[in-house]
Amino acid sequence: MSHRLRFIPGRLVQSIPVAFGVTLIVFLLAHLLPGNAAVALLGERATQESVAALTARLGLDEPLWRQYLLFLGQLVHGDLGTSLTYQLPVTQLVLEAIPVTLSLLLYALVLALAISVPLAALAAFRPGGARDLGVRGFTLLGQGMPQFWVGIMLILLLGVSLRAFPVGGYGDTALEHLYHLFLPAVTLAIAMSPTIIRSLRSSMISVLGSEYVGTAKMKGAAGVQLFRGHVLRNAAIPTVSIVGVNLGYLVGGSLVIERVFALPGLGSLMINSIFARDFPTIQGVTLFVALFVVVVGILTDVVYTLLDPRVDLSRTARA
Amino acid sequence: MRTRFGVVGALALTMALALGGCGAAGSDDSADAGGAPVKGGDLTMARSADIIAMDKTTTFDNNSIRVMEQIMEPLFHSSPDGTKLEPWLATGYTISDDQLTYTIPLRQDVTFSDGTPMTAADVKFSLDENTKTGASGWGFVNAAIDSVEATDDHTVTVKLKYPWAPLIADLSIFSNGVIPKDYGGKTAEEFYTAPVGTGPFVWSGWKKGQSLKLTANGKYWQKGKPYLSSVQWNVVPDANTRKLQVQGGQIDIDDTPDWSSLASLKAAGGVKAETYPSTQIDYVAFNQARAPFDDVHVRRAISYAIDRQSLVKAVLFGNGEVANSLLSPGTPYYDAKAGGLMFDVAKAKAELAQSSEPGGFTTTLLIASGNPNQASVAQIMQSELKDIGITMEIKQLDPTANKQARLASDFDMTLSAWTMDIPDPDQWTSFAVDPQGGSKSAFTSYDNPDVIALNAQAQKETDDAKRQALYTQLQQKTSEDAFLAYLYYSPYVYATTDAVQGFQVTPLGGYLLQDVSKKK
Repeated sequence: MSHRLRFIPGRLVQSIPVAFGVTLIVFLLAHLLPGNAAVALLGERATQESVAALTARLGLDEPLWRQYLLFLGQLVHGDLGTSLTYQLPVTQLVLEAIPVTLSLLLYALVLALAISVPLAALAAFRPGGARDLGVRGFTLLGQGMPQFWVGIMLILLLGVSLRAFPVGGYGDTALEHLYHLFLPAVTLAIAMSPTIIRSLRSSMISVLGSEYVGTAKMKGAAGVQLFRGHVLRNAAIPTVSIVGVNLGYLVGGSLVIERVFALPGLGSLMINSIFARDFPTIQGVTLFVALFVVVVGILTDVVYTLLDPRVDLSRTARA
Repeated sequence: MRTRFGVVGALALTMALALGGCGAAGSDDSADAGGAPVKGGDLTMARSADIIAMDKTTTFDNNSIRVMEQIMEPLFHSSPDGTKLEPWLATGYTISDDQLTYTIPLRQDVTFSDGTPMTAADVKFSLDENTKTGASGWGFVNAAIDSVEATDDHTVTVKLKYPWAPLIADLSIFSNGVIPKDYGGKTAEEFYTAPVGTGPFVWSGWKKGQSLKLTANGKYWQKGKPYLSSVQWNVVPDANTRKLQVQGGQIDIDDTPDWSSLASLKAAGGVKAETYPSTQIDYVAFNQARAPFDDVHVRRAISYAIDRQSLVKAVLFGNGEVANSLLSPGTPYYDAKAGGLMFDVAKAKAELAQSSEPGGFTTTLLIASGNPNQASVAQIMQSELKDIGITMEIKQLDPTANKQARLASDFDMTLSAWTMDIPDPDQWTSFAVDPQGGSKSAFTSYDNPDVIALNAQAQKETDDAKRQALYTQLQQKTSEDAFLAYLYYSPYVYATTDAVQGFQVTPLGGYLLQDVSKKK
């Protein structure tokens, strides 16, 4: 580990109390909701005796503090408890859902960058020109459209009319995943790219006006070489932190998108478990999402540190 | 001992059909519609939620039940129109003169999907298993059963504690489905992770939260069936996505399209949107434990104030019927002239004037949030009640909390619905009118000794005409008491692609997938 990355273990340790705070808040919020899991599981036709019997069997008649302590006790042993709806370890459910959400987010990120970098460059090379105006129009539009609506429009066009992509589902093999995840990933990418384009565009403009780019130009650098070697690397630094923050938001966005596209990821698991008052699963998923946001924060700092030699977070952390 | 081949006369005919190997009428329909059914093909169905579990004795949700029904079969089966009972794994039954002993001969050509023959011992085990779940499961449907004995390999004798007319209907419920004795040597828990039965399909695999797959049972007793190689249920919570998937041909059946999307689905090429009569009745429940709903005039006033025709138009987009009885048309002994209170503003005002609140009052209606149908009903009711001087606030709780509030009778008025699981009115009437039925009369605290007595008499009456008379009286009296305001009968609706043939839904909500085939 480079000495500049020594901040990582410290940050990981710091995230433990954050995670516990999250579990406490989620635990209390979930239990404050009216309605219990036994009722959700049994439905209309169940008698009051059967609801009472199931409540007792699920341990939901225990005092709240006992339930929380039990949860913490299990957590320390790496056990997130048993899902009330599926009667399976929550860890297993979460581990099955993570690859779906993670691949969706990564796919969306790759697509967002593929859309954003060329568009930002197009806009930045002649600010105020027709191309710039066009790109800025796109960012306005992209920000204004609700994600679920974009998703449905894409489904209508590419899924139903052209039948080029499946409408929802996840598929069985890696190739199928890639195929099935395309529309939801594009939807998320469209939501994500306006912020990236704006940030990249403005920093590219300032980089293009800087002395070192002028120097590079005089030395004969031009086109792709100039862009990659001098402009993009320097302009990317502020964008990295924006992407990091956005990934956190995207987890929220993926809740909606996973529902629209019927993807069996963390978002769907979360929504289903909230409706079923499946407390252990709600807690487990939230814990993982919280940890994910923490890890993305750390990764963002890592990339930031690697891109800009002047940044040393281990030093600032100590100061 | 007198012999009986059916709850109603027509049973003899249907039994003859089943014995002749023709199976249920649904298959004949499919043959009529598009030639002989094609063998093979994989059917994919999308629905809003996953199954919960396969334990037939303790699982209450319909999504799970619809899957169980393809794997485990009962002794008797509801006819396609839901009003009669057909022999299924049984070949008929006889009742002793004291009406306390039912002798049930079984089919001799039935094997479980693992190849072992089905015997009376398996049937005894299966019925006892259900009875044992008692209060925590579906055991209550077997409450009248005293004992079940395997007389010989192919005959079962059921002894009752008291005469009980709905017995054959009770034996047709999925929770009395037949499974191998002693779970085939497994524990109950092991068995229900991959249940084995005599049904047309075999458990294949479950990706939780994602999809569930069954494959054809090669040893199925109805020769030549099932036609399909496999059936898969995908979990697609969003109604719009399901609609688009069936339009895009990615799935074959969307199990609950929105009423609002029906017209556009019907107009879309390659898709059929069909409605099937159901036993569903949607109603307003009045909490009689709270004033002023203990006053029959208040309840009648509200019942008269509701324009049901406009609800059918606004909520069901015209697909459905105004409700005029406690029972639905798909339920045996339904009486179309039961006298349910219909829209009449003058009568509503007159009833309110006679009531304990002649000047009107303020109250609440509990609905489930995120349910567009209930929201429409509530808004229409709100303006209609305002016309007669009642201010009604709409109280929304999310589905689980809403359910709990209703179970605890924590409401003034609430919207709810009921569907039947057996082709006998007793399941619903006992739940709805008998405060001892475990639910305080559908959580309303309605308590009319005359009606309770009628219900108890109907339970013991095996003579069809007499039973009809009792249920007619029960429907009339409950209409007068207006303990519920009946709203509408809503059909089931399914959207399928043109390739799907022979798909039929009974009024009980079940479907027989052995009769379904897919055009190539």
